[in-house]
Amino acid sequence: MASVQLSVLGPKARASRFWNKATETMPRERLDALHLHRLRGLVQYAWDFSPFYRKKFDEAGLKPQDIRSLEDFKRKVPLTDKSDFIHLQQEQPPYGPTLALPQEFVTHHSETSGTTGVPLGIPFSMVDTVRYGESWVYGFWGLGIRPGDSFYFAFGWGNFAGFWSAYWGARRLGCRVISGGGLDTKGHIQAILRLKPTVLISTPTFALRMAAVAAEMGVDLANSSIKFTYHAGEPGPTALPAMRAQLEKAWGAKAGELLGIAEVDAMAPGCPNGDGVHLNEMNVYAWQLDPKTGREIAEGEIGENIVTSYANTAQPLLNYRTHDLVRRRSKCSCGRTWAKFEGAVLGRTDFMVTVRGTNVYQTAVENLLAEVPGVSMHYELVLTREADNDVMTVRFEPEKAIAHRRELWEKAASEAADRIHAALHVRLEVKPVEPGSLPRYELKTKRIVDQRPKEFRRALDR
Amino acid sequence: MTTEDRVACVKEARKLILSAMRGCDSPQIEAILRSADMELHWALWSLGEAVSLRPELDYGNSD
Repeated sequence: MASVQLSVLGPKARASRFWNKATETMPRERLDALHLHRLRGLVQYAWDFSPFYRKKFDEAGLKPQDIRSLEDFKRKVPLTDKSDFIHLQQEQPPYGPTLALPQEFVTHHSETSGTTGVPLGIPFSMVDTVRYGESWVYGFWGLGIRPGDSFYFAFGWGNFAGFWSAYWGARRLGCRVISGGGLDTKGHIQAILRLKPTVLISTPTFALRMAAVAAEMGVDLANSSIKFTYHAGEPGPTALPAMRAQLEKAWGAKAGELLGIAEVDAMAPGCPNGDGVHLNEMNVYAWQLDPKTGREIAEGEIGENIVTSYANTAQPLLNYRTHDLVRRRSKCSCGRTWAKFEGAVLGRTDFMVTVRGTNVYQTAVENLLAEVPGVSMHYELVLTREADNDVMTVRFEPEKAIAHRRELWEKAASEAADRIHAALHVRLEVKPVEPGSLPRYELKTKRIVDQRPKEFRRALDR
Repeated sequence: MTTEDRVACVKEARKLILSAMRGCDSPQIEAILRSADMELHWALWSLGEAVSLRPELDYGNSD
């Protein structure tokens, strides 16, 4: 027998309920003092190294020493938007004046999905990849994933930052990584059965698709080696409780979710309670504003998330408009003091529609649809504009069980419309479509089809 | 060990690594030492210490 016991982590660290208790439970006063120090450093850094920010600050008449408080930061540092960066990158590819480091520091390139527009290039330095990957680990640890677990990535290793960073996180945690690159859905299932990983990383809808394909193959993935599924890239088990139920049943596993924004960070790992995500305040500072007035909102109100990342020093993002609508809370029974976003992202400022005076959020509709018998997970929300009003129409594929009974399609549609009306006080048109007619996606599922005129929508998808 | 003691140890380790890096004529060894310092800087950051945004900002312009 060897005289030294080999272990990735010692027993005291392994017994911890938190990945980093000191920071995850840090009192708000101390967190805010730390943010102020870091934000001042970041503003100075952006001023010194980023031509983009030097120009922006000059235009605003801002000097780094003007930032003396968090209020100063929120009010004086100009808001930025993805389109600012994309335009400059298009003028001078690949990064133009948005790059804040010499090219030799850039060790990894990613891009946003760009499904409805031009992708944003995202440069990462080595330090950035370490910080970005760490964000995942808080969530992994909180869910119960430990060294000794092994990760299966149902992911094609394209330029999607999210799952590359999950890989950086899995390495940090000390887990085996199994790549599903190059395999089709059946290939993923066979690889899982053969290699026996314990954690699945995928988009939530792709995890459900894998389960459906496995069932056609005569395989019940609830009996597989997978103990945890962890998701990002689209609304998942935290935003959509019905999806959690579907995922956990299909895989016989505990489902987790992380809210990330490719160019910012894997910024908000899931709360172990399963009802929200916690902002990783070691990597990101966030505040929320009313998108109509531009004013900061109070805790508990729904507002647009404005974020500043410490994790991307190659292309800093300060007071960055996410267009995500969140409801922030400062307290959570899980013990974390990091800001909590209840239900993760509740909707998008560009996809929020006001139907006859009522704000309708994407996830609210999705949650209701998931509860209607006969409505499958294949659906889309079509936004149009009629008589100066936003209109949302739901198109769904009926579940397999009623695929050959058309009379039940209309019944499901009518029930969905009634439930939406009862819960949200608006009547939406709900239409069944032929089974298999809506597109299928391996990465981000596109739920919103925005057919409104350009002036009523944002052109660039994240 | 208290958190304060742990922070002091990590700061001391950084000092030693920076000494070993100074004037280094092996690209391999300098790259390894930079990597080690990056992790130590990250440890301080994750201990809630008010450190600079990137480890290289502490190196100055010598060597």
